[in-house]
Amino acid sequence: MKIKYNKKNISISIVIGILCVLLTFGITLQIRTVQNNISISNPNYADNNLRDEVLKTKERYDNAFAQLEKVNKELEAYRSKATENDSSAAEKEEQLKKDNAVLGLNEVTGSGVTITLRDNQNASVSSMKSGDDISNYLVHEIDLLKIVNELKNAGAIAISINGQRIIPTTSINCAGNITRVNGEIVGTPFVIKAVGGSFETLERPGGYIDWLRDDYGIDISVKLQNNVTVEKYNGVINYKYAQEAK
Amino acid sequence: MVFIAILIGCIIGAILGINSPLIPYSISGYLAIGIMAALDSVFGGIKSVVQKNFDMRIFVSGFFINAITAVLLTYLGNKLNVDIALAAIVVFVGRIFIDLAIIRRYYVEKWTNWIEKKNKDKEIKKA
Repeated sequence: MKIKYNKKNISISIVIGILCVLLTFGITLQIRTVQNNISISNPNYADNNLRDEVLKTKERYDNAFAQLEKVNKELEAYRSKATENDSSAAEKEEQLKKDNAVLGLNEVTGSGVTITLRDNQNASVSSMKSGDDISNYLVHEIDLLKIVNELKNAGAIAISINGQRIIPTTSINCAGNITRVNGEIVGTPFVIKAVGGSFETLERPGGYIDWLRDDYGIDISVKLQNNVTVEKYNGVINYKYAQEAK
Repeated sequence: MVFIAILIGCIIGAILGINSPLIPYSISGYLAIGIMAALDSVFGGIKSVVQKNFDMRIFVSGFFINAITAVLLTYLGNKLNVDIALAAIVVFVGRIFIDLAIIRRYYVEKWTNWIEKKNKDKEIKKA
């Protein structure tokens, strides 16, 4: 087909060009408006995007964490190699290990205690007296806090709740029907492990554990064991807002 | 010539659309219907070119009147609490597919004819 540059052809081109301007203008404007309002118009879409984002971030985190573990092991190997034939360095190494144990960066093994807490299984709304609250018969974050405090009072070096190590930055929060320790979800049954103190008096009459058990029927088992392993802290300590004082 | 005009028009339209202020979300539904009507007109136009009965006046008037009528009908539907937008979408998209089928048929036939012709030429040359 031969293109003819006559007047009619040019006018047709101009008209079609103008129509194209209008059409693409409308389409781009519409796309931008819809994208801008997508969270209002379609919460599902936004939710899915967020879910994807969470999964991606989690994967990245897992990868980075595996990397960190590997590097830490290498560091450990180098350190033990470097201190092999040096007694003062070995002493420092020992000190470092002890400090790391207190900070929660090492697994700690030793004689200790394992406490398991379960909600009162027999409590029901129908058996409540008036003025009583069914939620009193559950294990709350305050109970965990009090028990951790008692363990520390008994001299515990390392404590963990369901695998979450208690370190100086740990918070224990109520989050509805679960509890958060170190920001991670922790649920019943709660297994609290502690190493390093003398835990014989935990169940003393009038103590917190005794009170929970007697007054509210919380199922608590306290086992003194010779070989308890407390997991290490598996999060990352964030120094975002803290600086070393000079 | 026409294709250059289409290309330039699309680019200008996209630039304008990206830089223009956003419209309220409640109005964007009408704009969507207008876009569907315009797209339908465009496909109709291509079909008429293929069928060799393209008329500029009919094309342009169809482009605008279809779009405006669709928007007005949607507005009326909203006032009457009837989802006319859905009906319009069904009609427009259905027509787009029908036009597309006609266009496709035309080009497929053209292509097959071309291949057959080529084969015939070869045979003639061989003979």
